[in-house]
Amino acid sequence: MSRLYGDPIEVWVRDGHPAQFVWRDRLYTVREIQDHWVVAREWWKTSDADPGERRFWRVGAAAGKEVGTYELRFDTASGGWLLLRAWD
Amino acid sequence: MTRAFAHLHVASAFSLRYGTAFPAALVRRAAEHGMDTLALTDRDGLYGAIKHVIACHERGVRPVAGVDLALGESSVPDDLFGGGLPSGHRTGHGHRAGHGRGTAAEPARVVVLARSHGWAALCRLVTAAHHAGERGEPRVTPGMVAEHATGPDGEPRLTVLLGPRSGVGRAVAERRDDQARALLAAWRAVVPDLVVEVSDLYGYRDANTAARMIGLADSMGVPVVLTNAVRYLDAADHQVGNVLDAARKLVPLDGRHLDDPTAHAYLKDGAEMARVAARICGGDPGRAGRLLAETRRVADRCVLDPVEIVPLLEPERPRLHLPEVGEDPVPLLRRRCEEGLARRGLDRSAEARDRLAAELGIIERKRLSGYFTAVVGITDMIRAMGVRCAIRGSGAGSLVNYLIGIGEVNPLEHGLLMERFLSEGRKGLPDIDIDVESARRLDCYRAILDRYGEDRVACVSMMETYRARSAIRDVGAAMGLPPHEIDVIAKAFPQVRARQIRAALSDLPELRDSGLNDRSLETVFRLAERLDGLPRHIALHPCGVLIGNSTLRDRTPVERSLLEFPMSQFDKDDVEEAGLLKLDVLGVRMQSALAYAIQEVERVENRKIDLDAVPRDDTDTYDMIRLSRTIGCFQIESPGQRELVAKLEPRTMHDLIVDISLFRPGPVNSDMVTPYLETRHGFREPRYPHESLREALTETNGVVVFHEQVMKVIDVMTGSGLSEADRARRALGTPEGRAAVRAWFVPLARENGYAPDVVDQAWKVLDAFGGFGFCKAHAAAFALPTYQSAWLKRHHTAAFLAGVLTHDPGMYPSRVILDEARRCGVDVLPLDVNRSGKTWLVERTEPAEENPGGYGRGYGLRVPFSAVRGVSEAEVDRMVAGRPYTSLADFWERARPSRPVAERIVEVGGFDALHGLRPGEPRWRPGRLTRRDLIAQVGALDRGSPAGAEGQLPMGFTEHVAPGELPEMTEAEAVEAELEILGMDVSRHVMDFYRDLLDALGVTRARDLLRQRNGAEILVAGVKVATQTPAVRSGQRVIFTTVDDSTGPIDLTFFESVQAHTAATVFGSWLLAARGVVRRTGGRAVSLRAVHCWNLADLDRVWRTEGLDAVRAVISEVPAPGAGVGGRPIEYGNGFRVSPYSDNGAPPAAREGRFLGHPGEPQRRLWHASSGSSGPSPG
Repeated sequence: MSRLYGDPIEVWVRDGHPAQFVWRDRLYTVREIQDHWVVAREWWKTSDADPGERRFWRVGAAAGKEVGTYELRFDTASGGWLLLRAWD
Repeated sequence: MTRAFAHLHVASAFSLRYGTAFPAALVRRAAEHGMDTLALTDRDGLYGAIKHVIACHERGVRPVAGVDLALGESSVPDDLFGGGLPSGHRTGHGHRAGHGRGTAAEPARVVVLARSHGWAALCRLVTAAHHAGERGEPRVTPGMVAEHATGPDGEPRLTVLLGPRSGVGRAVAERRDDQARALLAAWRAVVPDLVVEVSDLYGYRDANTAARMIGLADSMGVPVVLTNAVRYLDAADHQVGNVLDAARKLVPLDGRHLDDPTAHAYLKDGAEMARVAARICGGDPGRAGRLLAETRRVADRCVLDPVEIVPLLEPERPRLHLPEVGEDPVPLLRRRCEEGLARRGLDRSAEARDRLAAELGIIERKRLSGYFTAVVGITDMIRAMGVRCAIRGSGAGSLVNYLIGIGEVNPLEHGLLMERFLSEGRKGLPDIDIDVESARRLDCYRAILDRYGEDRVACVSMMETYRARSAIRDVGAAMGLPPHEIDVIAKAFPQVRARQIRAALSDLPELRDSGLNDRSLETVFRLAERLDGLPRHIALHPCGVLIGNSTLRDRTPVERSLLEFPMSQFDKDDVEEAGLLKLDVLGVRMQSALAYAIQEVERVENRKIDLDAVPRDDTDTYDMIRLSRTIGCFQIESPGQRELVAKLEPRTMHDLIVDISLFRPGPVNSDMVTPYLETRHGFREPRYPHESLREALTETNGVVVFHEQVMKVIDVMTGSGLSEADRARRALGTPEGRAAVRAWFVPLARENGYAPDVVDQAWKVLDAFGGFGFCKAHAAAFALPTYQSAWLKRHHTAAFLAGVLTHDPGMYPSRVILDEARRCGVDVLPLDVNRSGKTWLVERTEPAEENPGGYGRGYGLRVPFSAVRGVSEAEVDRMVAGRPYTSLADFWERARPSRPVAERIVEVGGFDALHGLRPGEPRWRPGRLTRRDLIAQVGALDRGSPAGAEGQLPMGFTEHVAPGELPEMTEAEAVEAELEILGMDVSRHVMDFYRDLLDALGVTRARDLLRQRNGAEILVAGVKVATQTPAVRSGQRVIFTTVDDSTGPIDLTFFESVQAHTAATVFGSWLLAARGVVRRTGGRAVSLRAVHCWNLADLDRVWRTEGLDAVRAVISEVPAPGAGVGGRPIEYGNGFRVSPYSDNGAPPAAREGRFLGHPGEPQRRLWHASSGSSGPSPG
């Protein structure tokens, strides 16, 4: 089962992909990129000329030994990262 | 990577309402990426293929051509090929379904590429697809693809790509693996060269689906290629793509309706594509390498030879595809020319023989004998059908055309040159243009089709592209604006390019203050600008017909036009490049109007007129022209031309040829008109740079007017020959060209012994002339119908105007022609159910009192049934066939009109004569039958006749009309009804209702204008007849407006300095009052420089409610200073500057002077508005 979070997080990027992130005061290291996709923003609903796109990663990551699956989202317009979802 | 990536799936802007980039831009980008091969695979057709091949050839890129086709209903059981509608599968947690692209009710698609010798097979497959589907929705089945995929010996001709949008791709995306496997196997069984196409646009699960497609293909041994399903040049074009998706599907923008949820479908470079390959293959570099290599291999075997498809890329000896004429065309053409010499009485003329020998020399060297033979076969056939047919354009300069009977203009008589039409230096086929009666044009097409057969003939198409109004409409709809709002916004704009929208908003005073500058519309306008110039839909070209041989369908794909004509997917430039023979058969309304007038004269007077035999020197006709009484006449009816003919005072055909040539943007702007007029009227001596040029220039008193004169000057001074001279003349159009010509001309002329100052002077003439001027052959071909129309107007006024009203050949709407009829003394007769016909009929009437210019006294024009708004052709036929009628009930019974049509006929007085009604009389007495009583009776008749059961009620019941229960219509109501229903004021002139106000204000009438002194400031008023914003020398946008006050037309000129306070009123009002300064422009011509203007209806309202002083206060108000018209003028090579909002280059389609959003105002076209005219602004 997955849970939705939507927490702002801090992410370190290597070769265009997330490598490490801090979520709820714990440092996670990305072990595997499971999936990566992008979705263009629905620009016609905003007043911005170019609201950019949202980039999603589904990664296997661990803060300790246990590897879990996490979904991260990067918004090109705001430059901010969110942790969207985590699987137990 | 050793070899460059090749994109095999690329949609250009010619994928209608889908693609965003033009072929040339895609090819340029591919070349910049270092790619040596590029495919173009537009949706549904090969519309861009020729342009792609040419662009590739220019950039040294190898072209691949293909098509992206939708799969139609499949006959295979269980929908094995994946046609039809897919299941709208979506993922559960908020992500849009990235897999199964375009799943929103769009059919599955496959890409088909031509292999290296498969172009013909590709053309024929596209033709078959259009034949199979609905118009505009071509469909293929796997069977059809298979049928075209191999040649006669089983060799593969086509490569079929099954990608993410195919049935296979969708089944994989939806994890129906067994179905995917079965589908792929079924395709493989029928198509030998089958490959699986994978792509990854970074959408949700794209890479995953691609990986599993590779797995499936590998397991079945089917090769796999990588594409990027390109539809953008840059990622930033993504928003335009979204709008096009919405416009194509007729839905508002919404995530559910988009084809691509990401912006990645752009022309990526090799490195990016390598990353995509790596992503799909999940870090298996070997598999990724094989994927790229296989893509290369497929590209290699689909490379086409550009010259095979576009023969004109090989200019020396292009392989032309001419029709078969059954025998060797060379002796055939020689024989016909020889016969022509005798028939035209030229067999003893050495000049004619020399000219013929020279022309035949060029024709035979260029192997065009078959072309002339084919064209004359067609013109002979058209004339044999009894259709008026005339040659137009430069073809009139060829003696061969005259001798074999293609045209009736003798080039020797007018000094016309063959080289302007066909010369050694010109590549490709010459253009022969034929004018026929517009009403018979399609008959001519059908005859050509019947003669050559469907396989050998096709009409030429053209792409209608997005302009400001259409772009605003489509974007507005995508953004979900209400339709009526979109309509008002779109029509507020003049016919400008879409990319000028926001500039127009700030440049034009009438838009600046319109409320359109609202921020909420900003996005609409921004996106509408991005659609600029993109093809929107394909349409039949107005005149081009392709005539080929049995291989025509191997060279061009053919679809069906709206009228079911076979239509090539290539436009006129494409067919020329493809070496196909095109004949322009243009329908000319004036030819139909002339034919109609002759027929009316014969019907009414029992006199037959042979228009071509009428003497060309009729004094009465020229007198009428010199008085500017030319409304309705061909070519010389516009306000500007009426001014010019008054100054030029033509007396001969040659004068008309000069007049027509002078009235072009070029001559007007290089100021050739004034020197010509000065020498013509003897104010100045003609000047010739050198005696040897006298012969070339004497016909126009030393002023260069014609292309032919430029050629002669160059030829005389350089001795280069006329072919070379024509090439130089063409080059004069651009600054670089002029510099090059100068560098060539000056030394050569000096060498030939001309003194430096003579050469200098001659060069100045050529330089000023620029690339402008006019082809004399064109003008000579135009002058004949101009004279003929004027002759008919002068001598058979009513019949001529009946032809004009019936066939609408000119710029003016019907009500303006009716005004002109009244001024000519012709009676305008109201609709009468017992006298009206299907079209405008002439009747003899009691001659009214003598008046100057009353050429048409003693005749009347009867309003026809077809003028009634909303009437159908079948109704008109029944109404005409059923005459005479004894009563309204009889008419209802036998003509069976719809209720609204019957009511409208009553309203405009169709039963007045029959029932003895006299509306508008000063005192209507209760108890007398009225139009309103009859309207009530229409209602009773309608209720009394149940649908499908005619004549069930006894006549006695429906015959009964209780008279005088309802009051009669007033005169004003009657005229209002006429404008509303017929689009013209029949019983009285609209301005009659304002006579008292005009008198009270002291407004000057048109008939008194000539008595006003130059420089006087006066008030005028009238109904707007036309607004135009032609290109003028100053680079300003000048608005020329003509109003009519029932005594004649008044021409008003609004310069930019007054447009801030007048432009919105000029474009937005129908009835105008204006203050202006009198400007005498010629002996009998006066125009006004407008200072201010008002909507006359508003002034009338003020007068009625607040009195005359209030009106005087309004018109003496000093306008607040405002900014004028902005926008940088467009500057041409010869220093000629025009406003970006002038009418140059815009399509001539804009003729709607419709009035919207003002209830109670007439809704039909009441005035002429040129393409640079804005509509009424909203709010």
